[in-house]
Amino acid sequence: MSDYLLEMEGIYKAFSKVEVLKGVDLKVNKGEIHALLGENGAGKSTLMNILGGVLRADAGTTALQGEKQAFLKPGDSKEAGISFIHQELNVISDLTIYENLYLGKEATTKGLLNTRKMIKETQNILDKMDVALDPKTYVRDLDTSYKQIVEIAKALLEDSKIIIMDEPTTSLTDNEISNLMKLMKSLKASGVSIIYISHKLKEVLHVCDRYSVLRNGEFVGSGSIRDTDEEQITKLMVGKELAKEEHYTKRPIGSSKLRVENFSDGTYFRNISFDARAGEVLGFTGLSGDGRSELFETIFGFRKQPSRARIMVNGKPVKIKNPGDAIRAKIGLVPKNRKENAIIKDMSVMHNMSVAGLDHFLTFGFIQSRKEKSKFQAYREKLNIKVSDPNYPITNLSGGNQQKVVLAKWLEVNTDIIILDNPTQGIDVGAKSEIYHLIQELAEQGKAIIVLSTEVPELQKICDRLLVMYQGEIAAELGREEITEETILLHATGSKREEYAYG
Amino acid sequence: MANPAVNPVNKGYVSSRLSWLWSEYSVVIAFVVLLLFATIMHDGFLTYANMSNIFRQVAVIGIISLGMTVVMISGGIDLSVGSVLAFIGAITMIVLNDTGSVLAAIAAALFFGLFIGFLNGVMISKGKIAAFIVTLGVMAAARSLGLYIADGGSISGDVDAFRLISNSTLFNVPYPIIIFLLLTVLLHLLMNKTKFGRHVYAIGSNEKGALLSGIPVDRVKIMAYMLCTFLVGVASIIESSRLGSVSTSNTGHLYELDAIAAVIIGGTRMNGGKGKIIGTFFGILILGVLNNIMNLMGISPYLQGVVKGVIIIVAVLLQKRT
Repeated sequence: MSDYLLEMEGIYKAFSKVEVLKGVDLKVNKGEIHALLGENGAGKSTLMNILGGVLRADAGTTALQGEKQAFLKPGDSKEAGISFIHQELNVISDLTIYENLYLGKEATTKGLLNTRKMIKETQNILDKMDVALDPKTYVRDLDTSYKQIVEIAKALLEDSKIIIMDEPTTSLTDNEISNLMKLMKSLKASGVSIIYISHKLKEVLHVCDRYSVLRNGEFVGSGSIRDTDEEQITKLMVGKELAKEEHYTKRPIGSSKLRVENFSDGTYFRNISFDARAGEVLGFTGLSGDGRSELFETIFGFRKQPSRARIMVNGKPVKIKNPGDAIRAKIGLVPKNRKENAIIKDMSVMHNMSVAGLDHFLTFGFIQSRKEKSKFQAYREKLNIKVSDPNYPITNLSGGNQQKVVLAKWLEVNTDIIILDNPTQGIDVGAKSEIYHLIQELAEQGKAIIVLSTEVPELQKICDRLLVMYQGEIAAELGREEITEETILLHATGSKREEYAYG
Repeated sequence: MANPAVNPVNKGYVSSRLSWLWSEYSVVIAFVVLLLFATIMHDGFLTYANMSNIFRQVAVIGIISLGMTVVMISGGIDLSVGSVLAFIGAITMIVLNDTGSVLAAIAAALFFGLFIGFLNGVMISKGKIAAFIVTLGVMAAARSLGLYIADGGSISGDVDAFRLISNSTLFNVPYPIIIFLLLTVLLHLLMNKTKFGRHVYAIGSNEKGALLSGIPVDRVKIMAYMLCTFLVGVASIIESSRLGSVSTSNTGHLYELDAIAAVIIGGTRMNGGKGKIIGTFFGILILGVLNNIMNLMGISPYLQGVVKGVIIIVAVLLQKRT
């Protein structure tokens, strides 16, 4: 009899000839939040898919409370008390909360649905979780964080002992994150163990008890969160010292590249005016609902432009009715939520790179695949894109590499102004630092770079100037030295108002 | 168990190559199997006369299917093709009889093809109405307009030269076949080698992503529908030239279903983003060969629909497995 609730030992897995897990151990106590850490492609997902019964290990054992388990299909592991909450939530929007909870195991009496019982049980679980939700609410009317709560409730209904959470906070706002953390702690108190996968080390340090780190399919260490810090964990994950790297280079800042005047759309943002200058990295930040993504989607022509607004590029006014116009005006946008907005999932890696700049590959109207191939090769080397064959579908790549392909697409279009919305969303430390370097390099070439982000360390690393938004307005302008967590929060929450003087 | 240690690496490689081959060319493999089967079953099958017969029969729907493939890869569908074929046929005949000019008749057919496609495309892209609904409406309207023009009956062409289009040959190959083959090659190039083709695939796979990449989504969609009904115009010329007349109640009846069937058998995904012109080409040939061999074997024409139905479903089932 062992002390651990879950013990995975010597897990080995290879896909055709690629070894993904080379004898990995994972041990989780009862009632703890255990962080599973590692860069993209370290093998975390594979390990969790083995635990969830989606994949089968080639070698190694899994034991629950000392008993050996053989999970052949997802149902087996569910039955043993393991629930897997995927990054993409598995809830059905057009059903109510209780219908989602009981999906596939509806309570019946004499062949008819026992709605009353299902509602009551659902209410019990929601009460236990201390969330004020009506079981009869349609899931489509809930915010993302509440959808997550529905998933967790589902796990509780199944009496799960272990809940696996894969990057649960990527699409949540700060407030929603803190609610989720609270819920995780109360689950822990009731004896449930959570395996927590996240790239956000701050959250991990805040909420987790212990951690295990994987690197290139190997187990490299584990321990108690109390005895470690961000730097040590990063070192374990990356395998080399990287934390102190300097990304910022001082460069000359020129005249205005992009000038935006009087942007008000009546819903998301009001009275927005600013300049982005040649060679400058301009940051935009704020809490969720501050309207910054909507603002830049409007500037880029994805949304309808307000009537009195003016956009000037290099001092000349431009009319933008759609993203095509924006690109012709030398404005590019790398959108947030890569999966929905940026990658064309049925297309190959190479075609994703060329799709926005196809004009560069045409001869007499025909696409020259040789040109495409050599261009891609150049980007692969420049951006360190890890792909064995550029003709593979883009979905075969890890998040960080997908993002690099999206960046390559915009480098190929070669606009003077590049807007990056949450450019390091869900990607690992190594790829992040490569993207920061690229941003600096582009600024050095005299482009105007605008970065939308909520990660303060990121903004501190790369920005020359930061505009903080609060409820659709620019609340403050901070110079590079003034960028701190405290000042940002002060302005982003509206606790401190000062006139943002433009001009 | 002489050699149990077959290198697992190689095994994985071979099986992944095989599954790739199957997923890319299953329709070609199916066609070859069908061809072998038909050759064995009937002596008269593999003759030049019979082959040319099959191609001539599929040419009209084949040309329509090519356009349907483009529309379906873009994530849409065009149900109006059959009715539009009859409507354009009626107009072509009227223009032909009134002007006596073959060229004017052809121009009218192609113009109306482009025009109806433009209407379809604008309603779908700018009006944001589901393609299924728009083209269902146009299907009803075009059939009805055709009937109205011809007062419910047929219109015959009075100009003999027009009949030559479908009823003459080049090097012993009938013109409809030449046009079909030529259009297949052109459409294949269009979809694989041009910006338009790449954009159609992108829109079918991720419309929002395509828009955010600066692709003029509305314009590309309108062009796809225009291309589709333009090809219906071409098909209409061939059909009315072959028959010498257009029956506004029967011509083109249920052609949309045969065209969609050929596209689906050819491996194009129902909701867009994936598909091939070559697949559709073999898809329509499979339907043609099936009809032909059933006729040769004397199977009741009433039962042929069952076979067709089974083939469509089995084709999709097989493609799902990979």
